[in-house]
Amino acid sequence: MDRLHRRKNLRTGNSAPPSAPHLAPGRRLVLGGIAATLAGLPPARPTLAQTTLAQPSLPQPALVQARPVRIGMITSLSGPFTALGESMRAGMQLLLAQSGHRLAGRPVEFLVEDDLARSEEGARKARKLIGQDRVDLLCGVISSGVALALRDVVTEARTPTFLLGSANDLARGAASPFIVRPTKTNWMLGTTAARWAHEKLSGARVLTVGSDYAAGREYIGDFAATYQQLGGRLGRQLWTPLGSADFGPLLTTIAAERPEAVYGFFAGSDAVRFLRQWKEYRLAGRVPLFGAGAFFDQEDVLPAVGDAALGALGTFHQSPTAPASAAFNQAYMATGKPLPGEFSTTGYVCGQVIRATLERADGDLADWAKACGALFSAPVETAFGTMPFDPRNGQAILDIHVNEVRRGEDGRMVNTVLHTYEKLRDPGPDA
Amino acid sequence: MGYAIVQTLNALSFSALLLLTGLGLSVVLSLMNFVNLAHGGFYLLGSYVAVLWLGSGAPWWLAFPAAFLAAGLAGAVLERFPFRRFYARPHLMQVLLTYGLSVIMADLMRWGFGAQILTPELPAALQGVVFLFDMPFPLYRLFLIGAGVALGLLLWLLLDRTLWGAVLRAAVTDRGIVETLGIDTRHLFAAVLVLSAGLGGLSGALGAGMLAAYPGLDEEVLILALVTVVVGGLGSFGGTVAGALVVGFALTFSKVWFPEFANVVAFSAMAGFLLLRPNGLIAPPLRQI
Amino acid sequence: MRDIPLSRAAPLAAALLALALAPLLAGAFHLRFLAEILLLGTAVMSLDLLVGLGGLVTLGHAALFGTAAYAAAIAALHLGGNLFLVLGAGTGAALLMAALMGVAIMRSSHLFLLILTLLLGQVAWEVAFHWREVTGGADGLRGLPPLSLGPWRLDGPRALFLLSGGLALAAYLLARSFADAPIGRALVGAREQPLRMSALGYSIPRIRFRAMLAAGGIAGAAGSLYPFLNLYVGPQSVHWSLSATMIIMLVIGGVGSLWGAFLGSAIYLALQTYVSAYTDRWQLFVGLVFVLIVLLLPRGLAGGLTGGLAGSLAGVLSRRGRP
Repeated sequence: MDRLHRRKNLRTGNSAPPSAPHLAPGRRLVLGGIAATLAGLPPARPTLAQTTLAQPSLPQPALVQARPVRIGMITSLSGPFTALGESMRAGMQLLLAQSGHRLAGRPVEFLVEDDLARSEEGARKARKLIGQDRVDLLCGVISSGVALALRDVVTEARTPTFLLGSANDLARGAASPFIVRPTKTNWMLGTTAARWAHEKLSGARVLTVGSDYAAGREYIGDFAATYQQLGGRLGRQLWTPLGSADFGPLLTTIAAERPEAVYGFFAGSDAVRFLRQWKEYRLAGRVPLFGAGAFFDQEDVLPAVGDAALGALGTFHQSPTAPASAAFNQAYMATGKPLPGEFSTTGYVCGQVIRATLERADGDLADWAKACGALFSAPVETAFGTMPFDPRNGQAILDIHVNEVRRGEDGRMVNTVLHTYEKLRDPGPDA
Repeated sequence: MGYAIVQTLNALSFSALLLLTGLGLSVVLSLMNFVNLAHGGFYLLGSYVAVLWLGSGAPWWLAFPAAFLAAGLAGAVLERFPFRRFYARPHLMQVLLTYGLSVIMADLMRWGFGAQILTPELPAALQGVVFLFDMPFPLYRLFLIGAGVALGLLLWLLLDRTLWGAVLRAAVTDRGIVETLGIDTRHLFAAVLVLSAGLGGLSGALGAGMLAAYPGLDEEVLILALVTVVVGGLGSFGGTVAGALVVGFALTFSKVWFPEFANVVAFSAMAGFLLLRPNGLIAPPLRQI
Repeated sequence: MRDIPLSRAAPLAAALLALALAPLLAGAFHLRFLAEILLLGTAVMSLDLLVGLGGLVTLGHAALFGTAAYAAAIAALHLGGNLFLVLGAGTGAALLMAALMGVAIMRSSHLFLLILTLLLGQVAWEVAFHWREVTGGADGLRGLPPLSLGPWRLDGPRALFLLSGGLALAAYLLARSFADAPIGRALVGAREQPLRMSALGYSIPRIRFRAMLAAGGIAGAAGSLYPFLNLYVGPQSVHWSLSATMIIMLVIGGVGSLWGAFLGSAIYLALQTYVSAYTDRWQLFVGLVFVLIVLLLPRGLAGGLTGGLAGSLAGVLSRRGRP
């Protein structure tokens, strides 16, 4: 609540009307919507009488609790992040199944929309979930670009949103009183990687290499800044376009540089190609490799690269060997999935935080400032560990693990926790 | 010294991959004047087949014919319907039809093979590395270069030095005359399309070791192949070879010299090239009627 | 392209009526959705000038649209969201881009044109994607000021819809007159009989260049409003895949029929928005619809409609409407 009043762009106290608790529209409504859109006609909306009747009934908790809580998720089910989006959805679905599809005593309706990893698409889907499907809260998003595009949409609509995506700006300039961030920022991983490198590689000249886009720039920029602050020396900084087909030329350049260590960031297919070719060009085992975030993702990258990443180090807020993740690992693998990576865990954790929010608010999000205050008042137990929130920006304060890629008992590669930096807090508005 | 040699070999191996993917596209384009944007789908299908085959423990070298057959089969089905009806249609309609089909193929493959990034388990024989002046170069890439050269040669022999190739080229020039000689040109064209699709699948199998396999790769490869064929100049075998070399070297050395701006430099160079030579590197003499 | 007089008066009146009625009836989400359909439809219609009239299939149209979007967003961030400023900045930038592209396509045709425009579009995308200080890179630009016209803030769904509707209508009339003007005829001639047109003394490169400018200007006007739907602009608005999407919309609606562009954009966006909520296989669905249209209705839905039952109906109406 405090947080709300301190924000300058706030147009609201906590007395404003909540998003109208209409009767749940069914598929009929959606189909009607298609027809309406094509015909330029209005969507089948609840009548005026329903709306006016429903609003005064809000303060009565018994009525509110009988109503299902509608959760809308926006994630990438096509486009470059398809596999990650499917994992995120699976994580969330697992949590809902474990909760018997009831949160804080209210039945849950879970709606998933595909953002194609495109910002405009994500914004339109968010507006649809808010305006047509009347969700009580939103969650999701893989791509930071989509997350940033959603920021103003959900803030304007005053829809509580559990927004993933990891651009630093989401915890800084783009923070919003309606957004809770139960995941990392890029800064958390880049800066801990630099601290680890400084402690363990004392004085090594580190060459950096990364995908040339917003996330890569942040992971590597924050690493370089912290590393130099601590007195480390940097070698060449190499950048390569997102979606490089062939890393051969780059790896030959790296081999010719003969660096003492390499710090890198790639994601998805880039990470897979880079790591496989890293081994093909015989750099694996000769040059220490470390990185951050999705570079060595347990679910997305490691199964596809064999032992090419063996011995590599990565900083991450997720690790299948972290004690907090154990119960989730079990449950997730019981559904026929592999050892969980970042996005399945994030989807699950997002669900855990939503559950905690609803439980602490007795299932009623009508007064979001109050619900938010209750969420921020005490940490939430999640598969990422004990998670307190920074009330300034709604950003989770996280433990960051240093993972080493090791051979597990069954011969598979496993991100194994070597060390944990506790309670990383993004500089937030101070940055 | 070693650095320059290895970077040149990097460029050559990427050119070989471009040649392999471009050849299939260029065969239907030059011989049948048919633009097939579903070619990326054939490529990805070949990749998936090879990945599964290499993971199954069957003799590794059979993965390549398997990929050729699988993609060729898909090509044969699509040739019967609806490609066949579009051979005589304008390029625009062919582009639209095959683009739509490529969307369908991509989604079917995502359905069947999942959205995960898959990579082949290369046989031990191809996992080695050679050191040239102390610089490492993977054996697999030498294999790619060899495969590119061998397949290019084979295809050239087939089309240029066999009776079948002669009949085919005759049918392209004047279909009516060839038909009056009692040759069924429908079968001929069907065979070319199957060959092209098979080549796409084969190149997918060969390229999987370098590019992996995942949804969306079909589009990336298609663009590269199209650029290769167009830069080379449509309608000639030599053009595709030249295009593959130009695009492969442009993309590789832009990464060597300007890694940060690699794509801008390479794309601008190719665009500039097309501005100077609007009909590609090797333009067959055409008479407008 | 053939002129069907009936496809003028009746649909135009219907369009005006729909524009007037929709804000009274539709909800906030649908109004904004319709605005997006209208803006993208306008861009697709401008593409139709090139494809439908000139037979110039380009994959660089998103570069025009997206350049305008970025220019408008950047202008708004620095100078405020005045409508005319935004439109001017966006359209101007798109015209510049179109001039560049126009020079490029002067001598090029067929597949070469397709690939050349693809490459140029990709260069534009790379610039938008990498010039982080100005464009925000992959994260895009956020927090734009809302559009304003004097004392009015144009950020509500109704205002945005009316604005897009007005723009679409103006652009339609402009495109229509372009198609009917000598330059439009010459463009068709250059497609059908390039040799004869040259022999008649027409300069085909010059005709193409002008067509490109016209298309770029219209696409630019639509693009400059696009960021203000969500107060956000990202690099996907420049990417070639948006160009491909525009071609799909054009084909669904009907190549050569200017108003079909809006139909195509509506159908594509509706499919994408509504089908994806039900099944992960929605792309399969879109692909099938697209292939079926190419197979069965080569002139698109607009062609199918005017050629079929609706055509005869509209024919009766238009005959009655004549003095």
